[in-house]
Amino acid sequence: MTQNGKVKINKLPSGVLGLDEILGGGLPEFSFNIIAGAPGCGKTTLAHQFMFANATEERPALYFTVLGEPALKMLRYQQQYTFFEVEKLNNAVRFVNLSQVLIDGGLEAVLEEIGKQVNSLNPGIVIVDSFRSVLRSKTGPANEIEVQGFMQRLALLLTSCEATTFLIGEYAESELQDNPVFTVADGLFWLYQTVERNSVVRKLQLMKLRGQMSVPGLHTFRITEGGLQAFSRTLGLTGKKRKVPARKRLSSGIPALDEMMGGGIPEGDSLLIAGASGTGKSLLATQFIAAGIRAGEPGIVAVFEERPDEYAGRASIFGLDLETPIRDGTLEVIYLRPLDLSVDEMMQELLDAVKRTDAKRLVIDSLAGFEMALAPGFRADFRESLYRMIFALTGLGITILSTLEMEESFTEFRFSTYSISFLTDDIIRLRYVEIDGQLRKIMMVVKMRGAAHSPDIREYEITADGVTIGERLANYSELITGIPHKTESSGN
Amino acid sequence: MQPMKATVIPSTTRDLTERLIALERCEADGETAPAFRVCDKLRRPLSMLMGTQGYRALISRALTLAQRESKLLTSVRVKEDGALECLNSEAFPVAALLAKQLIALLLSFVGEAVTLRLLDDVWPTLRGSETTQGDLDDSKRQS
Repeated sequence: MTQNGKVKINKLPSGVLGLDEILGGGLPEFSFNIIAGAPGCGKTTLAHQFMFANATEERPALYFTVLGEPALKMLRYQQQYTFFEVEKLNNAVRFVNLSQVLIDGGLEAVLEEIGKQVNSLNPGIVIVDSFRSVLRSKTGPANEIEVQGFMQRLALLLTSCEATTFLIGEYAESELQDNPVFTVADGLFWLYQTVERNSVVRKLQLMKLRGQMSVPGLHTFRITEGGLQAFSRTLGLTGKKRKVPARKRLSSGIPALDEMMGGGIPEGDSLLIAGASGTGKSLLATQFIAAGIRAGEPGIVAVFEERPDEYAGRASIFGLDLETPIRDGTLEVIYLRPLDLSVDEMMQELLDAVKRTDAKRLVIDSLAGFEMALAPGFRADFRESLYRMIFALTGLGITILSTLEMEESFTEFRFSTYSISFLTDDIIRLRYVEIDGQLRKIMMVVKMRGAAHSPDIREYEITADGVTIGERLANYSELITGIPHKTESSGN
Repeated sequence: MQPMKATVIPSTTRDLTERLIALERCEADGETAPAFRVCDKLRRPLSMLMGTQGYRALISRALTLAQRESKLLTSVRVKEDGALECLNSEAFPVAALLAKQLIALLLSFVGEAVTLRLLDDVWPTLRGSETTQGDLDDSKRQS
């Protein structure tokens, strides 16, 4: 089939959740691909997912095993995944072992046998696993020409028979250069698995994919009972238009705070509430989400430090009913399993929840909890990941409120830690001050991008009604140090 | 040293194997036991799946287990290509023990559903006769 005289390349579903987005829509039909990586990183499972997603009786899949994992064991384990359809076995999916052929006749016989099987079955998919073992005996300069010739003939054989093909091999990254195998391939998938302290971090990279635009870089993936699930760095938002909010103002749920912010929080903004422990950050966030529910704006709360029922229970103490909207499906409180998350996985969870609820408001409580929930290997990229996440979510028109716990200092005043203030449009700072022998609380709007806001520093209290903002503390100076002085106009 | 216990084959596995043997009995040529024909018919698809060496390892294991049940099977050998060589026809009456062990090993490794798929290819009439899928729940091998 042609389009303007050009051949149209069909894109086949990979069968891996999230991978089609990374591939740029799917895997090019009739492409010749290599799946490389260390043992145990999911190469065989990836190939199986593609095979079961695409194999039919008319265009079956031929799966050649060589000297790798014994086929019986492979079937034993692969059938545990939900994508494994027993009905396709020996029907749409056929396994052929080539080990004896390799031992008896070498590369030439392997090529001949693959050709024979391909010609007799007319497969749509051909997979050779573990391909590396076919070539292992032929490494070294003397055999390079033979290997290259074998590879080229195999590639020609497979592509000319109109099949999408995979070669699976255990390679080290150092072998990338000067290896003819990689030159011939149309697609090169590289899977990584590293242990970071107590966590396992899995990533994949599409080093090469001819004929279409794939998403570059390393993408996190996880192996679940459904097989591999990939999380694109671009979060599936490539090519999607950013929603430009009408810039209406959203109520924070606290009229005095809305007033300080010049009428409320600009829709689609990212707002940071920073303050020490006990200053009421989470309560502000809860009031923000409850105000949204009252205004008919569905919301999502991502919590890391308490369970959803605890979160709703705490809100009820302040007269905020979150249980009803949770039941109605207009509010989701997501508790993300701590300690080994990647930002991409969390993002996917949030994006899925956004789609489910059509959320307009999102609370992340807290950023410190979020960072702690990540696998250690992902913490190094926390700021960059946070940037991607906030950019993606606000791009969907969602207003985000994040809380950030800060160490209280009585000698300096910082707007926020992590140097993440550049990620947020608006910052509200909460802090303790010592006044008249009491530990009291003050609040100030530090920053609002492109919008006027009150410069007042106002005292507030946490009451049974939530955060109650009082008057500006006009008679004190150096409030932000935490140890203010009464000014003369105060009468002292 | 205590002698090794024979592996007990569950009744459902025995039933399944008996049905395969019955199907082969219909095509019996008198030169070999129907149970050996069952093993031989499985050799080709299983060798295709596991490789010749893989199949040879599997049938050899099945033979070892079967020989614990009957000394008459000591006259049976596994050739290089996985085919069976029977040096004495005295083994014929107990040949079913070997086929049962082979089926039991398959059930143990890949489970009922995959095993039945593999058998279907060789004996298309097997399914739909007496035992249906799901009847083999207790087919796990007991030692």
